[in-house]
Amino acid sequence: MMAIVKREIQEHLRSMQFIIMIVLSIVLFGLNSWVSAKKYNEQISLYNRGLSNTKSWASTMSTGLYMRPSPLVFAADGGSIHTPPGYWLSPKGNLKPMSAGLHNFKMPFVPEMDWAFIIKVVFSLYALLLAFRGISGEKECGTLRMVLSNSLKRNVLLLAKYVSILLTIGIPLLVGILVNLSVISVLLPSAVSLSILPKIILITLVALFYMSVFIFLGLLVSSLFSRSSVVLLIVLSVWILFVIVVPNVSGILSDKLAKVPSEFQTARQVGPMIEEQIWARIHQIRDRVKKGELTDEQEIKRQSDLVFEQGREQLQNHNAIYENAMKQRARMARNLSRLSPAAQFQYACEGLADTGTGREARFLKDAKAYSGIYDGYILQKVGTLVGYSGRVFGTTVHLYGKEIRLMTPVPKQYEGDKSDFPVFTESSTDIQNNLQEASLDLAGLAIWNLILAMLAFAAISRCDVR
Amino acid sequence: MLKIIIEREILEYLKSSRFFIGLCLTVILVGMSTCINIGDYLQRQQDYLDAIQLLEDPHKTMIFRKPQIFSILVQGKDRELGNSIGINLREIPMRTSGYMGAFASQHYRYIAGFSAVDFAFVVRVVLSLMVIFLGYNSIAQERVQGTLKLILANALPRGKLLWGKFLGGLIVILISLTIAVLVAVLIMVLHPDISVDQALYLRIMAMWGISALYLGVFFALSLLVSTMVQSPSTALLILLQIWIVIIVIYPNVSVILSDHITKLPSREELNQRKNALFGPFEREYEQTRKANRETFDSRELDTAIMVKYVNVRAKRTNLFHQVDCDYSRQLTHQVHLAQHIAILSPSVLYDSIMKRLACTDIYEYDAFMQGVERHWHKLVEKERLRYEDFRAYKEDRLPAFTYQKQYVAEAIVQTISQWIILFLLAVVFFAMAHTIFLRKDVA
Repeated sequence: MMAIVKREIQEHLRSMQFIIMIVLSIVLFGLNSWVSAKKYNEQISLYNRGLSNTKSWASTMSTGLYMRPSPLVFAADGGSIHTPPGYWLSPKGNLKPMSAGLHNFKMPFVPEMDWAFIIKVVFSLYALLLAFRGISGEKECGTLRMVLSNSLKRNVLLLAKYVSILLTIGIPLLVGILVNLSVISVLLPSAVSLSILPKIILITLVALFYMSVFIFLGLLVSSLFSRSSVVLLIVLSVWILFVIVVPNVSGILSDKLAKVPSEFQTARQVGPMIEEQIWARIHQIRDRVKKGELTDEQEIKRQSDLVFEQGREQLQNHNAIYENAMKQRARMARNLSRLSPAAQFQYACEGLADTGTGREARFLKDAKAYSGIYDGYILQKVGTLVGYSGRVFGTTVHLYGKEIRLMTPVPKQYEGDKSDFPVFTESSTDIQNNLQEASLDLAGLAIWNLILAMLAFAAISRCDVR
Repeated sequence: MLKIIIEREILEYLKSSRFFIGLCLTVILVGMSTCINIGDYLQRQQDYLDAIQLLEDPHKTMIFRKPQIFSILVQGKDRELGNSIGINLREIPMRTSGYMGAFASQHYRYIAGFSAVDFAFVVRVVLSLMVIFLGYNSIAQERVQGTLKLILANALPRGKLLWGKFLGGLIVILISLTIAVLVAVLIMVLHPDISVDQALYLRIMAMWGISALYLGVFFALSLLVSTMVQSPSTALLILLQIWIVIIVIYPNVSVILSDHITKLPSREELNQRKNALFGPFEREYEQTRKANRETFDSRELDTAIMVKYVNVRAKRTNLFHQVDCDYSRQLTHQVHLAQHIAILSPSVLYDSIMKRLACTDIYEYDAFMQGVERHWHKLVEKERLRYEDFRAYKEDRLPAFTYQKQYVAEAIVQTISQWIILFLLAVVFFAMAHTIFLRKDVA
């Protein structure tokens, strides 16, 4: 077996394709390091600026909670362009995402060229190109018959082919990764430390695991068909399906399958809700004032504050319904796209690199836990808790000719000493947490590997070698 | 003789499993994506019609952006740019948002990472790959099998053979493309809720034309590589690497480079600019605001002060909006820069022309925003009228919102340089293939 592996590797290494792949790998990973270093620099400076602002302007009206950027953003960006740098927390646990910054919304959407993308698209295609002629090529040349006329088992031949391709593909991958890490360590020494090394190794192993799916696929189809051109056409069609079609089409499919209200359906309820929950009740207060049932200014204000506060909560809940609907759609889209090993690999990388939606969900969990501490602090300093949603309503009523202004109550600012202001700290994640997050997708990749390996071994054992 | 070669080539391609599998894949993808996108378009169209009737804001004039019918074939930016904008005397937002408003609509970000599969995508990615697969062995295979030597042993000029192969292949590609277009158009036309008029057919024909040109570039490129190398497998491998670069890497790199070359101002810088621009009028604004408040509180309405207050508020909004417009132009400039960097990528050229033809690019969006600005001026006029002549104000109705839409001829004229570049790329690739083939040893 070793002899076949060696022979195969030598053959692959001599090919022009290998040289092109090495060059492409260096260029792409090099480019990634340059872009990622710049991006991480911006993210970390925004994060540090945010932290110092929160510290110097501690407020009981609202406070900024900033998400710590992952140093592994170069491995899996996780859609950082759409992710808020943090959340504004106001009393009563109201969390509002900060603006994700002024990115060019007119620019055509192109995926971030991180490790996950390079491996997902370029290396998977390269794996197929190495594998598609593995068996059919030998059949066409007539060498398969000769090889198998020796005391060599078919399974061993397939295994040798598989190992040789995996090792060959590992070389440009490792070269690219080393170039990437070297450039990043020069441009951004603070980002590369020993602590991220285990994760990098894990991501590299997952990358090999992912490419193994395509190697098995190539060898399977190659064992089933005699003509290499047909094999290539089939594997390329499958590649298009896995890498391009399924991950992209799942977004729009989720719209149909997830039974959630659309943005318009949610938006059209806002007006009537404000009318019903706020203005109708305020009119009732006004009527009671007119009838003389309410004669105390403080009581009028207390009742209107209650109406405004409850209305605000209703609107906030309504917004939350829309947010949850979008989250549900996104979850559905991600689950649909998980049919493709490319998407599984992408999400596994995001899980391991601590980026993407999983990262934001964990941050929000920490933020909700902190909101209790924050509310406790406000109660201790100010005495009352008033929520804030950014929407303010106001009107006037007349009591015995005197105009009384009724406004949505807003949280009060504590002007005294705030040196004991509670500091928000994110829970740290270790590699076990990350692995747990990526476990579903890793299991998916394992299933793909298993199924395709079994089929490939079954196909070669049954194939006609002539 | 040329006719015989073309016929032979066509027959050979049509008989091949490559053509059959490629065609099946294309038809399935085009059919599936058109059906899904029609459902999506109809939903957005219904939401738009309902929004005009039902969504009102007591403090703002709401303007809604109609979804483009051709987003079914070329989604472009149509879906993600937002569909509503609320304007008043004090505000013209920098950009459109979703129906829920600027804040809540940002939850759309959760699904922003999923792009669309549409007709343009299938042609740009899948059909281009199929074309490579058809053309990679057109010369190299004949050379390996030894048939090239036999063919050229007859009184057949090499140039004619190459032309025959090119035209034969091109006809087969056009057949596939036409079938794909017909599938998409038939699904649209037969749908009871979609109405397609004559102008739309013109756009479809233009789309067919640019798709044919785009695929022609790839076929000429395949022919070139096939004449350059000895073995078909080497030709295919080279072509696949080129395909990856053209379709995936080059467009991506162009966006990254453009992003790094042009520095966009931050939110703080924009606010500073706005404040600096309005600085000289700040005092006047405050005085008028105060005077207006006083007349309001005293209940002795002073028309002159109120009109002045409308004017000064409008001036403030207009100046702020000019900063936003300037910023918007910078964004457009950055997009154009990315397109210029990627000018040699047929994929980027094709994508840009298709979006323009389908009215789903930023040109359409910018035209809409210009319409919003014009509408805002009418709103200001009407607001002035409120204090100058209240009866006229009550009788006056704000005209319906309109904006300048682009005709298909305009779209073609504006993208003519991109059409020419695509054509030149095809000519250059074929000319190179021709030259190399004439000089190359056939053995």
